[in-house]
Amino acid sequence: MLECRDLGLSYEGVPVLEEISFSMDKGQFYVLLGRNGSGKTSLIHCLNKTAEPDKGQINIMGKNLKEMSPRQIAGKISLVPQEHMDVFPFTVLDVVVMGRAPFLGFTQRPGPKDYDLAAQALAWLNAEFLGSKNFNRISGGERQIALLARALVQSSSILLLDEPCNHLDFNNQFLLLSTIKSLCRTQGLSILAAMHDPNMAALFADQVIMIQDKTIMAKGLVEDIMTPETISILYDTKISPVTLKGRGNLFFPDTIFKGKP
Amino acid sequence: MQETAATTELKNQEKDSSLGLILSLVLAVCLVISASLGRVDVGLSDIKELIQWMWQGDDGPPLSASAQVFLWVRLPRCLMAALVGTGLAVSGAVYQALFRNPLVSPNILGVSAGCTFGAALGLSLSINILGLVQGLSFAWGLAAVAMSVLLARAIAVKPIIVLVLAGMVVLSFFNAGLMVIKYFADPYDTLPSIIFWIMGSLTRATWSHVMFIAPITLAGLALFLAMGFRLNILSLGDIQSRSLGVVPAPHRRLLIIVSSLIVAATVSVCGQIAWIGLIIPHMARGLAGPRHEKMLPVTALLGAICLVVADTAARSLSTAEIPVGIITALAGAPVFAFLLYKNRKTGWL
Repeated sequence: MLECRDLGLSYEGVPVLEEISFSMDKGQFYVLLGRNGSGKTSLIHCLNKTAEPDKGQINIMGKNLKEMSPRQIAGKISLVPQEHMDVFPFTVLDVVVMGRAPFLGFTQRPGPKDYDLAAQALAWLNAEFLGSKNFNRISGGERQIALLARALVQSSSILLLDEPCNHLDFNNQFLLLSTIKSLCRTQGLSILAAMHDPNMAALFADQVIMIQDKTIMAKGLVEDIMTPETISILYDTKISPVTLKGRGNLFFPDTIFKGKP
Repeated sequence: MQETAATTELKNQEKDSSLGLILSLVLAVCLVISASLGRVDVGLSDIKELIQWMWQGDDGPPLSASAQVFLWVRLPRCLMAALVGTGLAVSGAVYQALFRNPLVSPNILGVSAGCTFGAALGLSLSINILGLVQGLSFAWGLAAVAMSVLLARAIAVKPIIVLVLAGMVVLSFFNAGLMVIKYFADPYDTLPSIIFWIMGSLTRATWSHVMFIAPITLAGLALFLAMGFRLNILSLGDIQSRSLGVVPAPHRRLLIIVSSLIVAATVSVCGQIAWIGLIIPHMARGLAGPRHEKMLPVTALLGAICLVVADTAARSLSTAEIPVGIITALAGAPVFAFLLYKNRKTGWL
């Protein structure tokens, strides 16, 4: 669905990403891992053309991203940003229906059919009850669900999520990632999420892409890539695994096994 | 659930139409009352006489004094108040969405300061050319916005914040320029006229002014109404707007140019009329909600109603006319305080 070849990005001459190559398939959940400032968000912005890469090529369903208009791109790829507050007190349904923007002309406004689609997306996420609520006055978890619903209304192909678990409590992180994973399976979506927690990636992702020093350090299936060695290199700290019954490994810095820090 | 969302939306649209109808009726009533109030009594007989005169042309009897006052003074002034109120209010709403800030007024990029500087320059030149003051005011208002935009473009980081800061720089520059002109102005002649001009008034309204402002304001309003849904998207910020397929830069450019044209046109004719561009969008949001496709028509009607009422008060409250800018400023501060208090829990602050 998405192919990225030798991508390079720099801001004011300072390289941020170099030689990034990977591809995404239908129905798969990909997680981007890397330290703070490693370029995860920049890569996400390149993929939906909110940032202009200097080098390389991105193809979406065989089409070069450079040859697509912003509206065409928005119709194929949607973005769930990090936690966000609106300036004006829109309702959740108003926010979700904004996902129809790529399909409406310059002077068009969403009609009843668009509102139906927005309500349907909330229903998929079991969040119909949020529809009439003020977006600015719901919890962080509910806001992420609302933005996910907007992304579903916008694109039925590729979803990009920029640190979706930011500001979410423990339970909401699990709920959100379970929902994302089931969307991949049931709707055939291809989802890429930048995340900080390798354990959440290990539990939910199908494939992982690790970014270090501006480039891809490792990529592949969770069971192949998520090893104590790769994670140790990625976060520059010694990591030990803890085996979960039937669910693979979780990873923790060695320091926690050597008494209280 | 599917049916519910569509039905709710249809019901909301019906509610919006009735609100629009009620406000249109209120505006019509305000215009009639405003046109009939003043030093000279104007009644239905004058309007009847005027219609007959327009029908017969120069062949009919000459117009009475009161009918002439209605035709050449009262009517253009009332229409001007409605147009200026509409223009300032919708420009304020558009600026607030573009700058993602509910506390922004149309003066953020220095357009009013530029207009005032231009008018003061025109008044101090003491050259008797028809439309010089208005022309200079309009040109300097647009020049101020162009300077803000060019300065922001030269700095070229974080477009919204830099644009606001560039606007502050330009605003300060023109305010300083205005002070210089006031300092050197003749204190018995030019200085009072500059000060009176700054206060904002509709006394100067003529049909030619109406013909100048009407096309700019109405064309701008039509564009804003057409772009209502896009303004919702633009108010989310650049990254989200772009990711939803709405490229912010060209939209912002177009909307800033049109808003600035409207504000420059109104300020060049009426001087500075404070608070309308800041408060009316908030009142409209309170009535119609935050969606721009719904709140902009309400903003336009409310802006017209408020300025027609303020102008009527300006020429009826005392024997000498009070500049309308004073009325809007006096009423604006407490009304805004009330709106802040009333909306403290809606999440728009």
